[in-house]
Amino acid sequence: MSRQDVAADRVLSLTLKFGAYMAFALIVAGLVLQFVASWGSRVAAAGLLVLLATPVLRIIVACLQFLRERDFKYALVSFGVLTIVVLAYVLGIQT
Amino acid sequence: MTLAAMLLLVAIGFCAGGFGALAGVGGGIIVTPLLAIYFGLPMHQAIGVTLLCVIATSTATSSMYVERHVTDVRLGMTLELATTVGALIAALVAHHINRRTLAVLFACFLLYTAGSLVKKAWDSRYTKREEVIPDYTPQNYPVGLAASLIAGGFSGLLGIGGGPIKVPVMLLFMKVPLRVAAATSNFMIGVTAGTSAYVYWGRGDVRVDIAAPLVAGVFAGSLLGARISPKVRSFYILMLLVCIAGWLAIEMIYKLLTGGFQ
Repeated sequence: MSRQDVAADRVLSLTLKFGAYMAFALIVAGLVLQFVASWGSRVAAAGLLVLLATPVLRIIVACLQFLRERDFKYALVSFGVLTIVVLAYVLGIQT
Repeated sequence: MTLAAMLLLVAIGFCAGGFGALAGVGGGIIVTPLLAIYFGLPMHQAIGVTLLCVIATSTATSSMYVERHVTDVRLGMTLELATTVGALIAALVAHHINRRTLAVLFACFLLYTAGSLVKKAWDSRYTKREEVIPDYTPQNYPVGLAASLIAGGFSGLLGIGGGPIKVPVMLLFMKVPLRVAAATSNFMIGVTAGTSAYVYWGRGDVRVDIAAPLVAGVFAGSLLGARISPKVRSFYILMLLVCIAGWLAIEMIYKLLTGGFQ
């Protein structure tokens, strides 16, 4: 495995970690807050939205890393996956 | 929701996340039946909530696997081309399938998973952990992509990750080492489940009041599980999971026979 791959793995791992902890913190805060304030459940819902955003985020980050490494084949593959996922989002709202 | 119900959901999520990280089987397989049988959620809603648990398990555990360079991101991304298509189609179709049919399919998949776990537990008794990952080149992409399409379809239909389908195919047909296959599958299920989750969320089949405590538990459970997994004998965990999966399958079949899941 090349050194660039190692660096790319670190960026991707940090993205996943950031999304996980951010969602976790918001959800826990929301769960506690909902007993004292009516808007608490909205904070928890925001946490779930952050969680829902992590799959898209990890594809975008992987795609950018492939572009940086000039690995256009896999950048294109990532872009294809991203297109399908975005299509799911659009179809999900419409139906 | 009462405090007791919320804490119970956190505990269920914790166990599901812990099992997912320790046994390499997403906790989704136990969350959906628990919600459908004991919380009285309609199958579609139980599946919608479970999809979020699957994303949580994947995000929490794969951050560690990617950091340790066990995940093959290129392989994962390629197979995701197929899993996401399968998940999208299945999630759109799932809405038109009645609840009893979904429950029957789920019970079948539960039994299949229990069977594959027994085999995994049996193998784990005498195979040693691969310490160093051997060199490999993924082979047989057409078979891998076809299996991924099916795994993605099951994911969108039943809210599971599809690991029990993808991992054996990567191992046997694509000649990928087991640890890489498991870690790559873990990375993929988040994206696959995400694709279906958008469709379920858009339809309003994701209950925030139930998903939030569950997901909080899943995060805590899978982070802890991934940390302690090198030190735990997986045989006993797998057998425990087989018992739970078997029990839930029997409960689901009993409920189906007595006219439940309407």
